[in-house]
Amino acid sequence: MPDFRDHAHLPNLRPDREPPHPSWLPRQEVGISPQMVGRYPDFDVLSAADTWDEATKSVVMARLKDPAPLRFFTPDQEPTLRAFCDTVMAQDVEPRVPVAEFVDDKLAAGRLDGYQYADMPDDRDTWRLVLHGLDHTARTRYGAAGFAEADPENRETIVDDLAHAHLDGGPWEELNIARAWSVCMRAILAGFYSHPWAWNEIGFGGPAYPRGFMRLGPLSTTEPFERHGSTSEDPVDAVHQGLGHG
Amino acid sequence: MADRLRGLLKGAIGPSDNDSRYLLDVHSRELPGEDTMRQYAPGEEVDLVIVGAGAGGSVLAQRLARHGWNIVILEAGPFWHPDEDWVSDEAGSHELYWTQNRIIGGADPIELGKNNSGRGVGGSMVHYAGYTPRFHPSDFSTLTDDGVGADWPINYEDLRPHYEQVEAELPVAGQNWPWGHPHRYPFSPHPISGAAARLWEGAHKLGIEMRVGPVGIVNGTFGNRPHCIYRGYCLQGCKVNAKASPYVTHLPDALAHAVEIRANCMAARVEVDQATGRATGVVYHDEVGGAEILQRARFVAIAGYSIETPRLLLNSISSRFPHGLCNDEDQVGRYIMVQGASQTTGRFPDELRMYKAPPPEVSSEQFYETDLSRGFARGFSIQTVSPLPIGWAEHVLADGHWGRAMREYMRDYNHWATIGVLNELLPQPENRITIAEPIDPYGIPIARMDYSLCENDKSNIAHSTEVITDILHAADAQDVLTIYRYAHLVGGARMGSSPQASVVDANQRSWAVPNLFVADGSVCPTQGSANPALTIMALASRLAARMASGAAMDDDPLARAGTGTRQAATPQHARSRSS
Ligand SMILES: Cc1cc2nc3c(=O)[nH]c(=O)nc-3n(C[C@H](O)[C@H](O)[C@H](O)COP(=O)(O)OP(=O)(O)OC[C@H]3O[C@@H](n4cnc5c(N)ncnc54)[C@H](O)[C@@H]3O)c2cc1C
Ligand code: SF4
Repeated sequence: MPDFRDHAHLPNLRPDREPPHPSWLPRQEVGISPQMVGRYPDFDVLSAADTWDEATKSVVMARLKDPAPLRFFTPDQEPTLRAFCDTVMAQDVEPRVPVAEFVDDKLAAGRLDGYQYADMPDDRDTWRLVLHGLDHTARTRYGAAGFAEADPENRETIVDDLAHAHLDGGPWEELNIARAWSVCMRAILAGFYSHPWAWNEIGFGGPAYPRGFMRLGPLSTTEPFERHGSTSEDPVDAVHQGLGHG
Repeated sequence: MADRLRGLLKGAIGPSDNDSRYLLDVHSRELPGEDTMRQYAPGEEVDLVIVGAGAGGSVLAQRLARHGWNIVILEAGPFWHPDEDWVSDEAGSHELYWTQNRIIGGADPIELGKNNSGRGVGGSMVHYAGYTPRFHPSDFSTLTDDGVGADWPINYEDLRPHYEQVEAELPVAGQNWPWGHPHRYPFSPHPISGAAARLWEGAHKLGIEMRVGPVGIVNGTFGNRPHCIYRGYCLQGCKVNAKASPYVTHLPDALAHAVEIRANCMAARVEVDQATGRATGVVYHDEVGGAEILQRARFVAIAGYSIETPRLLLNSISSRFPHGLCNDEDQVGRYIMVQGASQTTGRFPDELRMYKAPPPEVSSEQFYETDLSRGFARGFSIQTVSPLPIGWAEHVLADGHWGRAMREYMRDYNHWATIGVLNELLPQPENRITIAEPIDPYGIPIARMDYSLCENDKSNIAHSTEVITDILHAADAQDVLTIYRYAHLVGGARMGSSPQASVVDANQRSWAVPNLFVADGSVCPTQGSANPALTIMALASRLAARMASGAAMDDDPLARAGTGTRQAATPQHARSRSS
């Protein structure tokens, strides 16, 4: 088991600023996490769902329903949208958090964020232009039929250029690219990290009303239902030292 | 001995003249009185109509209702039913925020929405973090003493009794406070989390003093308000009633004293009698597409938040005020301010789980005032914070990560602790609210906010961000991520000593319309580096006392100018007149 007290896995501290391949992580053993990787293999936030208040439970549980068909994006935008969401959140295999559906629902319902840069179109038009732009760059740079058809490495290169505002031509000329990146990422991150599977992956305790949290540290930071990240300690030693899980 | 006695009495003495804590129900989070509150007919002339049931508007209403005033509050957002409407969830709290469109421009546009203002009964404090520091005495005269910003027409002593009263009402918990004007708090400090303890340790090693609090969060019980359960969702609305907001601290008492809150009612403009120049009431819509309704009133107070208050004034156009109400001198909307709010987050070997406990825990005001050796005027404060996963993902993004690197950092979430600053950024005339072309669903033109940093602001932000980064390194953080951001809008209808340089006088009464007041954070001429909510409430409390006594309607030029006349006239005389 990897040692999580150590920091060698953190991208900023690695020579290439790239994280290790996710295969260094344990597989999720209880519950579901995106791509079944995570740091808390025996933690399932949903095991505490019966302690959540009704209002919260219905909002969170709705995210686990089978995703509905897209309403805002058109069928010809859908592959680009999905490929983009998969690439920026590194979701290469199932199970996937349905990020594309979250974004689509937000835009279809007009649940926008409450501000618009003076030099930018409405967020809904920004999204459409970004998807066009991704296709445009995939075609002109790599000769692919569209962004979704480009090789995974090429998709990552395009997204990296988007993150650094290094794209031009076609639809990109109509956008302040750095701001467009922020518009898209805000929605994507909210979609991904509002999903209980992502909470399993990161060991987040989730909703806590009416139960509350009792263990703030320093002696312990885990509630009875929470689990420590897997560690390099021999479980037998850990029990002897009083570091028992849970 | 005196200290021991005070210690024993901590949490035991409540405020007089405000029964909100007893009016709340132990078993339900509803604001008691919604069904039974007094109802006025729009055609009936009430004593006061207030726009906005937020920090400023609610305190003003509660106070004046106790003096027998008949009051209607128009609130654009919903009447919350927290048991059903609020959730223990980040993304699910979208409805709490003012998310109708606003245009942002300037060299450094400020992202609004969930980061800035609320919409609904209780205003932005429903989802504010809960830090409740006072301003320092030095905040009221930065132009004279530091050569930057503006002088207020009032001083710290004018607000002090109101700070004390509001602190008792929230109630504020914290350690004895050594900075600014040293003071104590009515409730003992909360226990702190492991994450905050690590940060405090780092600060201590650098010789930076920090203290627990001050937060408007019940520690113990307070009437029918329970103890905080450390669930960490303060920014999503406290479902426990432990965190202070007008919804629990002032509106229950207001409703019990014949105030009517008319929720889902969007004010469109202030109506002015063109012959007398007096306000006659406020025109509003009670539904999208609905007809205009005029609520008549003897006095009008606007408390819609620093963006909506100037917007409402600028949209109130008439032949007498063709450029917007109170805007003959082109002052409305100017000098809008935000605080720099960079945050750094550090990685530690242990699991800290920063999502537990309220986000506001430990803070320092050691760097609040000007220190010329730093190379800029005025200063900053330091506060621990603790973003939930979506908020923290935005940090990771701001440090330049996405894809696999984002996932890797996010899986590490439980090992991180976060600390932030609040910079006093300076008021500038070109940082302003204007009216943009698009209209909202009611057909009312929306606001545009332009914002650009000046050199002093940039130096302050750069220096303070270094200080918090040093704290993380001193605490032995293994890795550090930084996000530059902003928080807390004030200004836009500032108070001052002359109509040429301000919108309202020392009594928050508009220079142009004799029965129109501004009762929210818009009136602040400077912002210090303290979070604004307590000061907004204290200002409204002072305003109410002066409206009740009639002092606020004093037409004497010296009274209207307040202490701003002190350089010109006899200082002591002018000062005593305003208090
Ligand atoms: C995430 C976050 C964290 C914060 N943390 C802190 C903190 O820790 N400490 C602190 O001191 N401050 C904090 N603040 C700031 C604080 O909440 C605000 O400064 C304060 O509540 C502003 O008070 P106000 O009276 O000016 O306006 P508000 O409290 O916003 O009230 C204005 C009300 O007017 C209504 N309104 C506006 N226009 C109209 C109209 N035309 N018609 C009818 N109604 C209208 C709005 O719906 C709103 O309810 C935080 C803010 C945010 C967003
Ligand atoms: S941490 Fe305390 S104050 Fe904050 S929301 Fe939870 S119970 Fe309320």
